[in-house]
Amino acid sequence: MRSPVEGAPQAQSTTPASAPSAGGRPLAPDQAARWFIYSAVLWFLVAGLVGLLLAAFLYTPNVQSFIPEPWRGPLNFGRLRPMHVNVLLFGWLSMLYAAAFLYLTPRLTSTPLWSERLARWTCLLWNLLMLGAVVSLPLGFTQGREYAELVWPLDLLQTALFLMLALNVWGTVLRRREPRLYVSVWNFMAASLIIALVYAFGNKIWDVSGAYVGMNDAIVNYFYVHNLFNVWFTTGGLGIALYLIPRLSGNPLFSHRLAIWGFASVWAGQHHLLYAPGPDWLEFVSIAFSILAAIPNTAFGVNFVMTMRGAWHRVTHDVPLAWVATGASMYLLTCAQGVAQSFRDFSLLVHFTNWVIGHSHLVFVGAYSAYGFALVYHLLGRIDGARFDPRLQWWHYGLTMGGLWVFLLTLWSAGLIQGQNWATGAIPFLATVRSLQPYHLVRLLAGLIMAVGQLLFAYQVWRAFRGRASAETA
Amino acid sequence: MRTTIPGQPALAYLLGGSLLFLVTGIIVTTGLPGWLAPPPSPGARQYTPEEALGRRVYIREGCGYCHTQQVRAPEAEHGYTMRPGDIGPESQPGDYAYQAPVLWGTERQGPDLTFTARRHPDREWHLAHLRDPQAIAFGSIMPAFAHLPDAALEALATYLLTLQ
Repeated sequence: MRSPVEGAPQAQSTTPASAPSAGGRPLAPDQAARWFIYSAVLWFLVAGLVGLLLAAFLYTPNVQSFIPEPWRGPLNFGRLRPMHVNVLLFGWLSMLYAAAFLYLTPRLTSTPLWSERLARWTCLLWNLLMLGAVVSLPLGFTQGREYAELVWPLDLLQTALFLMLALNVWGTVLRRREPRLYVSVWNFMAASLIIALVYAFGNKIWDVSGAYVGMNDAIVNYFYVHNLFNVWFTTGGLGIALYLIPRLSGNPLFSHRLAIWGFASVWAGQHHLLYAPGPDWLEFVSIAFSILAAIPNTAFGVNFVMTMRGAWHRVTHDVPLAWVATGASMYLLTCAQGVAQSFRDFSLLVHFTNWVIGHSHLVFVGAYSAYGFALVYHLLGRIDGARFDPRLQWWHYGLTMGGLWVFLLTLWSAGLIQGQNWATGAIPFLATVRSLQPYHLVRLLAGLIMAVGQLLFAYQVWRAFRGRASAETA
Repeated sequence: MRTTIPGQPALAYLLGGSLLFLVTGIIVTTGLPGWLAPPPSPGARQYTPEEALGRRVYIREGCGYCHTQQVRAPEAEHGYTMRPGDIGPESQPGDYAYQAPVLWGTERQGPDLTFTARRHPDREWHLAHLRDPQAIAFGSIMPAFAHLPDAALEALATYLLTLQ
């Protein structure tokens, strides 16, 4: 039986009035969300460029000879890699999520944002966090734990920012006028609050070193990494997708009940560390949960395909819808791949190889950044009245997805070859490295194609920004 | 303020359930392995100040993004680095008892380093290799670290020699 909530994104067309802030003058709504979007695109460019440099390093370390001597320390592979990862995850994607949460929660609850002022501070401090990351990581300030490299003061700031975002989401929901909660709101509430706990625990924010001792350090590290993906990027991303799919396709959500089923969680991260020197029972628990994740993934897949019924033809002339459909498809592919990778036999083959890098780009570029592009186009259209040139939009889409598929197929092939070569036990390691050079070259070229696409994207966002700025001064 | 929604579970139950789930997850995933952790291996090393300094250089320069420090059971005594099977024996949890953070790593653009000092016990080899990897290992994609101060390279070499 369908509940009336199912059409929620269509029902919420009115813009809530500006937030009456405590004691001060009322602030114009949605400005924090707008700043979050422009900031996210800026950090996206910075970290994307770094990714390109990393790909060049892997093809030939001779790129060092083009870097002036005093810069070789800060611009070395090992210092730039965490910057690429952290700024893309916590700058580009997370700041877009913040924009979506701050913009969509008021719409879905027919209630002004709890505090626009708090939201603006959140945005300002988030940019400060990213500035800190961009400066500190190349200078060698790192805690040395993957995805948890940021130093102690930045860890504290990041935790506070998640809490500030959660406060705004929860405050808005608790004061809401619309009694029924659309599924996306559940996702936003859960993601923003639980990630603060996971981040605090995973980064050990009460300890300056940020590291646990011995085997448990790796276990907690991957508990955190897995839940950073699961609790924050997946839960938040599903909330965004479950808003955008009905909103852009013009169809009501197929089943709200099914969407609630998708609201499930996997908490152990040990399937990232199979055959590692950790407890076997933890690996088995983790594998079991990874298989169980097929339930929420299937629920989302069915909802996605059924909601899109009768609207598939629209992806050919609506770029944001094309991005959301792409993101959802790539997400489902990620889930299938993820389950396969969580089996010991397959993990033994591909773990430590370039396959894993392909997997992470599949989900972060193909799925979550795809939602991100849709969000940027959609929200800037709503907030700034931006009009985008479909030709540029399609060029961006084509270059991004074309480059991405070349990139993914190259890395997956390279990964399988690496894994097979190592498994023979008959090939010196260095020979396996040399054999990868053509793949690293193709990967670099694919990265260049994607980079050109992102410059087109940034140009469009710049035009939207300029258009709004000139409209304000006129 | 309404806390229930028709046809939906009560907010309190959902929150309580989620919190319980999260706390159980944290305890089972992280607390339990800690309590059940085996004692330190006989070979587990407590670092001298010089070794610890070298280890910090290893972390700072991001060596761990391309080099792992764990040998998985099926590849133990089988993996081929310089000679067949020289990847070394399977890593045990107790080997890492005194390390914070551990440097297990997730990617092998370069070889596993758990037992690198068995393959290269020579300090001068490490120093020369760090300064110009391609001169020592033809076709290596490791960046050079000649820009680091000598003291940092010496400490790093000292640390690498503990990996045996």
